[in-house]
Amino acid sequence: MKNRGVITGLGVVSPIGIGVGQFWKAALEGRSGITAIRSFDPFPMETYRSRIAGQVTDFNPSQYLEAVHAERVDRYAQFALTAVKEAMADAGLRMEEETPHRVGVIVGAGVGGLLMGERELTTLYRNQKPHRVHPNLIPMVTLNSASGIVAVAHGAKGPNLTISTACSSSAHAIGQALTCIRTGQADVVITAGADACMTPLVFAGFCSLRALSTGFNNDPARASRPFDRARDGFVMGEGAGALILESLAHARRRKARMYAEVAGYAATSEAYHMVIPREDGVDVAATMSLALRDAKLLPAQVDYINAHATSTPIGDAVEVGAIRRLFKSRAERVSVNATKSMVGHTLGAAGAIGAIVCALALDTGLVHPTVNYEDPDPDCALPGIARETRKRPLKVALLNAFGFGSNNAAVVLKKFVR
Amino acid sequence: MAVESDIALRILTALGNYLKRDPKIIRPDHRLRDDLGLDSMATIELLYQIEEAFDLQIPDQDLQKLISVGDVIGYVEGRLRPSSPARATGLAAKRLPAKKKG
Repeated sequence: MKNRGVITGLGVVSPIGIGVGQFWKAALEGRSGITAIRSFDPFPMETYRSRIAGQVTDFNPSQYLEAVHAERVDRYAQFALTAVKEAMADAGLRMEEETPHRVGVIVGAGVGGLLMGERELTTLYRNQKPHRVHPNLIPMVTLNSASGIVAVAHGAKGPNLTISTACSSSAHAIGQALTCIRTGQADVVITAGADACMTPLVFAGFCSLRALSTGFNNDPARASRPFDRARDGFVMGEGAGALILESLAHARRRKARMYAEVAGYAATSEAYHMVIPREDGVDVAATMSLALRDAKLLPAQVDYINAHATSTPIGDAVEVGAIRRLFKSRAERVSVNATKSMVGHTLGAAGAIGAIVCALALDTGLVHPTVNYEDPDPDCALPGIARETRKRPLKVALLNAFGFGSNNAAVVLKKFVR
Repeated sequence: MAVESDIALRILTALGNYLKRDPKIIRPDHRLRDDLGLDSMATIELLYQIEEAFDLQIPDQDLQKLISVGDVIGYVEGRLRPSSPARATGLAAKRLPAKKKG
């Protein structure tokens, strides 16, 4: 029989709080973390179509991290280190009591360390001095810098991987961590997702793609509005989420607290278009169905869905269409929410933050609100989407994550039952 | 609509180049999506070229109005006409042609 994987520790850096306590309190209160971007120095914000984001303000790396680690990596990896540090402490996992080769690290990152990349590129072209390119540029922009520095910081010598599938990166990281546990490659996998790509170039690129909300620049808190009729694109976010996933046997041996079991996972490609989803939602429905089959559960057993729901006109409708298609009458009863309504779309961190929300929901029975769901779009409306926190007896949760490159992921979590 | 206007000719040429078709067979009543087969991303790429050619910035909210080739020509002519309102935007915009997952 395959090993079972359980979540024993959580950590988060988000626009609505650094630390799980602060994050969860804000989420249950329905607080928006979307604010105006001050500037992309030297470019005034008027030169950007979208001017708002879910920003992590007052993040001071030295408050959380040792300089020797923090200074070596870009902002996204600092977020990952901070979230992992919290998750390790939350899990009570002491590396001196672990076999280092049995502890792996898998991180999802969509864009990675481009803050320094852009800075160095600009300097190079301005000063035309290739020999003045910073020696730390390459280790910083290499996409596995976060998974690398997390291993270095904690002495985790097991499998060390980075998954980059755009917006679904860390949902796949969790799925691959589960595979690692099931196949016995590791006892513990430190799993995280992180991104911090509020840079002049990347943000401009998303503006040009016309993927971002532009109609609420003067009212940022109302901009991210999944399932609402007035939604007009996603709001960029930044942050990190970390989960300690370990085998049930290992967690039992050290009497760890278990938030939830990661019971199933599916990964698919729509093989359709680099940025446009299939409008019929067939592949999204198939992904959810495969993940449930992997968990040996039926759609009728799902109590709660943490939707991908980025607040784009088509994306949200496709996802709800797929939920209706797969869940049939259950779609009228299942609780659904969109964490991005408060934190924006944190890209590579989105899956991990969504999984943290699922774990907390299963643990507490609380489903946080979807904010700005004021005028339900008939294409997206479900009775289970609510503007306020709801208390529900939850046993099974489903996490959706879809990414550019025609990529889909679904993860099933369930309340741990002995 | 004066198909022979300079703006119209430039837009038709841009469309022909983009679609790799003879501009002469593209008509103002052709719909970008249904007749010419442009998906939302292709429309965005085309408008990106039109913005460059006419030194314009087209707000996201205006995209939903650009259904046919004639809409695009009329829109650009309207934007370039000095007396006309510089832009027409509105939050009534619901179905942008831009459809993204991510």
